Amino acid sequence: MPENRSYNDELNFLDKIDAHTWRIKKGFVPNMKVDGFFYVNDLLEKLMFDELRQHSRAAGFGGFLPAMKQIANVAALPGIVKKSVGLPDVHAGYGFAIGNLAAFDMSNPEAVVSPGGVGFDINCGVRLLRTNLDERDVQPVKDELAQAMFDHIPVGVGSKGVIPMGARDLEEALEMGVDWSLREGYAWAEDKEHCEEYGRMLNADQSAVGSKAKKRGLPQLGTLGAGNHYAEIQVVDEIFDDYASRRMGIDHKGQVVVMIHSGSRGFGHQVATDALVAMEKAMKRDKVLTNDRQLACARISSPEGQEYLKGMACAANFAWVNRSSMTFLSRQAFAKVFNTTPDDLDMQLIYDVSHNIAKMEEHIVDGKQTTLLVHRKGSTRAFPPHHPLIPVDYQLSGQPVLIGGTMGTCSYVLTGTEKGMEQTFGTTCHGAGRAWSRAKSRRNLDYQEVLDRLAEKGISIRVASPKLVMEEAPESYKNVTDVVNTCHAVGISKKAIKLRPIAVIKG
Amino acid sequence: MAASREVCEKVEDIAPLPPRSDQRRDRTAGFVIVGGGIAGVTCAEQLSALSPDDPVTLLSASPLIKSVTNFRQVGRALEEFDVEEKTTGALQKACPNVRVVHTQVRAADTDKHHFQQKMANARRVVIVGNGGIALELVYEIEGCEVIWAIKDDSIGNTFFDRGAAEFFLPHLTAGKCEENKPLKRLKYTVTESSSDSPKKGDTAMGGALGPDWKDGWRMKGKHDQAAHRVQVEYQCEVQEVLTREEFTRTGQTAECFPGTSRAEEQNDDWPVYVLLTNKRLYGCDFVVSATGVVPSTGPFLHNDQFSVAPDGGLRVDDHMHTSVPDVYAAGDVCTASWEPAPQWFQMRLWSQARQMGSYAAKCMVADRDGEDIDMDFCFELFAHVTKFFNYKIVLLGRYNAQGLGKDYELLLRCTKGLEYVKVVLQAGRMQGAVLIGDTDLEETFENLIVNGMDLSPYGEDLLDPNIDIEDYFD
Repeated sequence: MPENRSYNDELNFLDKIDAHTWRIKKGFVPNMKVDGFFYVNDLLEKLMFDELRQHSRAAGFGGFLPAMKQIANVAALPGIVKKSVGLPDVHAGYGFAIGNLAAFDMSNPEAVVSPGGVGFDINCGVRLLRTNLDERDVQPVKDELAQAMFDHIPVGVGSKGVIPMGARDLEEALEMGVDWSLREGYAWAEDKEHCEEYGRMLNADQSAVGSKAKKRGLPQLGTLGAGNHYAEIQVVDEIFDDYASRRMGIDHKGQVVVMIHSGSRGFGHQVATDALVAMEKAMKRDKVLTNDRQLACARISSPEGQEYLKGMACAANFAWVNRSSMTFLSRQAFAKVFNTTPDDLDMQLIYDVSHNIAKMEEHIVDGKQTTLLVHRKGSTRAFPPHHPLIPVDYQLSGQPVLIGGTMGTCSYVLTGTEKGMEQTFGTTCHGAGRAWSRAKSRRNLDYQEVLDRLAEKGISIRVASPKLVMEEAPESYKNVTDVVNTCHAVGISKKAIKLRPIAVIKG
Repeated sequence: MAASREVCEKVEDIAPLPPRSDQRRDRTAGFVIVGGGIAGVTCAEQLSALSPDDPVTLLSASPLIKSVTNFRQVGRALEEFDVEEKTTGALQKACPNVRVVHTQVRAADTDKHHFQQKMANARRVVIVGNGGIALELVYEIEGCEVIWAIKDDSIGNTFFDRGAAEFFLPHLTAGKCEENKPLKRLKYTVTESSSDSPKKGDTAMGGALGPDWKDGWRMKGKHDQAAHRVQVEYQCEVQEVLTREEFTRTGQTAECFPGTSRAEEQNDDWPVYVLLTNKRLYGCDFVVSATGVVPSTGPFLHNDQFSVAPDGGLRVDDHMHTSVPDVYAAGDVCTASWEPAPQWFQMRLWSQARQMGSYAAKCMVADRDGEDIDMDFCFELFAHVTKFFNYKIVLLGRYNAQGLGKDYELLLRCTKGLEYVKVVLQAGRMQGAVLIGDTDLEETFENLIVNGMDLSPYGEDLLDPNIDIEDYFD
């Protein structure tokens, strides 16, 4: 890695292509095989460059690279095709930035697969259920409904799933995904249709998963966990695309929906961790070089690469079973409060999307149809109308894309476009970019007395102190509306519906 | 449960239990559980789910603890959720193979009614103890002066460190805020005695309390103002409790409660006086002793075959076996005597009682079936979520660097009145954490501890409030 360049020197490698697009030229970091690109609006652009400036001043955060650098480091990975892309919500993450998309040519023996390009929470994703209820129906029983959801869905650290499951059930679920839920009666047949991969990655192989991952996963199936995973009861706030919305069964403002945002919990984390360890060891053997240790990866065809893909598929299936279980429990909660059946409430699954996953897909590269391993970390597949992999009911409107804002803020439903297919391998953003914590202000104050009391001889205590202040930026995080509007302006996805939360269920 | 009942009947028809030489009219006990607290009841529920054909008998001297929002088997034909069930028959209704037997009851010292009566007329109370119950009591009691005597040098010693105690001190005197947020976990209550109890209303309250013990208890004393008036007496214990006559005979003067004048104090007519080992003498209306859990091993100690740990609990191995064949122990009564996972240790909490009760059931069934099972994952990482002074508290792993000697370092982030985050690191790897307030970090830290990731490249930036660390490791 070169020593820190000055900020102005860094700018020499950055080109503004149009109002919303920047190019990161080869040379920004060593070994780039392709250029990097990122999409912004004015505010997002400012945040990206502020981050870079702080890093150049060496006032940035030691272990955390700016997103621009991470996009460029990914462009240096072997086998990468066309470009390394930062969606408008791109921000620092482990290995790949979150919101960093990259595709690798599977016919190239050098091409790699990287767990950092998928994320620890494999198949973290979002699904949306509709209802035929209106806000008027729900407001009077809002608290009761929220408590019913809490009663049905275990949340928080240490919580255990309520759907009975033994070790053997888990292994079946890991290989069958939503087919397991269907067999056990937790999912409706139509749910399968409205899910990426039909809720089951066929190359899953539970023998590729270590016992620690299985042990972690077993009690957590059907739980919501904590942190940025949540279920929200939402209401349709605005309809931008009437036709597409109707295809999804949404026809008026005030219609009530349920959004579930969760992933593979500790199971995914363990699969990713195990793979990173195994791949780091194999990199020397296979002579794989990267700019960043966190970008540990393996040749796709190597035993480590294959093992990871099989394990990743299991984790993906785990997450789909998890979301199916929570769908089932949500349907029951609603049915209970409204004293009817989920069927009568028309609680159909609109769609389920993943935003931490690697997929084998066909794309046109240089005029030729090519099989690519597309890494989507913190980004969502957005296939256009007429694409063979999307359900029949969306053939004319395009694949629904569900964008959960930061919990408690608004969410969006988008649809995929042809332009997205060409520009970003059919990919768009996934939500808000939390580059800087919303909680940044008013934290870490007045801690001296506490520190004094805590002090103990011989024990080092370090206090996290904010080193810098973001000047001027009124909101120091990339809010979902800016992000979604930018994608719309660029043309890689189209806005269809805006949703507003009325109750949040989280750990 | 309907499906299970059906199967149960069919089995009875085609394969009735073989006659036994000591067969009596009552059912023979396939499994017997002694104790109706959280461990016992969770074990019974789990046994019922795993082995619905086997009779389970649960013996309890005190009213049964019962999870109120009791969610049973979720099957193709989903059963209803029980929302409010308070009779002893509830457990039997939900688990048809479980039979509850109330053993002989003895006269009680105190119960909820008694406590509330005393509380309503109290102007000052002395609370002894520094554990969970004491902490909750100190917070809950209003309209009454509280003398809090603890033997440690900081409050809440078992749960948090001195730094966190410092964080909480200002809140000892703040008012309570009423919050009606939804409850995010299983709710527990105590069943009322049924007609099969020999003497109604005269039951032993020695049973487990569970996390919701103070629901419905009125803890408002005589004074009008709602704010807390708490005086903490550190590093002391109760030396003697005196009646008014005994106190007068000593000729000593009682301490004033801070804010009370000597004249007011001298005029006060207290029924009870407490002399603490730090030589301070306080008058009060009554004393509450909340000094911790003692394993209730009495009935078992007659049999010398049980191996007992120094803390008085029955030793159990990693499959909940005691030293006596076919006898298992779980919850407060046992002492975990296996080599624990690096970030787990036993603490007598309701959450561990539940985990052990559930795991014990699995072990019992596995042993019966000749199967080998792995330990439940909950024993890999200590995790407890609770609430004190209206702040959420999450304790993970070796949160107070327990057992790490001096070989660790701490990362701290704290904002008065808002949050307290402390991370314990050893060789760059997270071993434990204390999270107070709505930090949203518990899931991420749970992962970082269990993954064993090397966090040294991040240094103290790990806790920098400007970084969304939870999202970074997503």
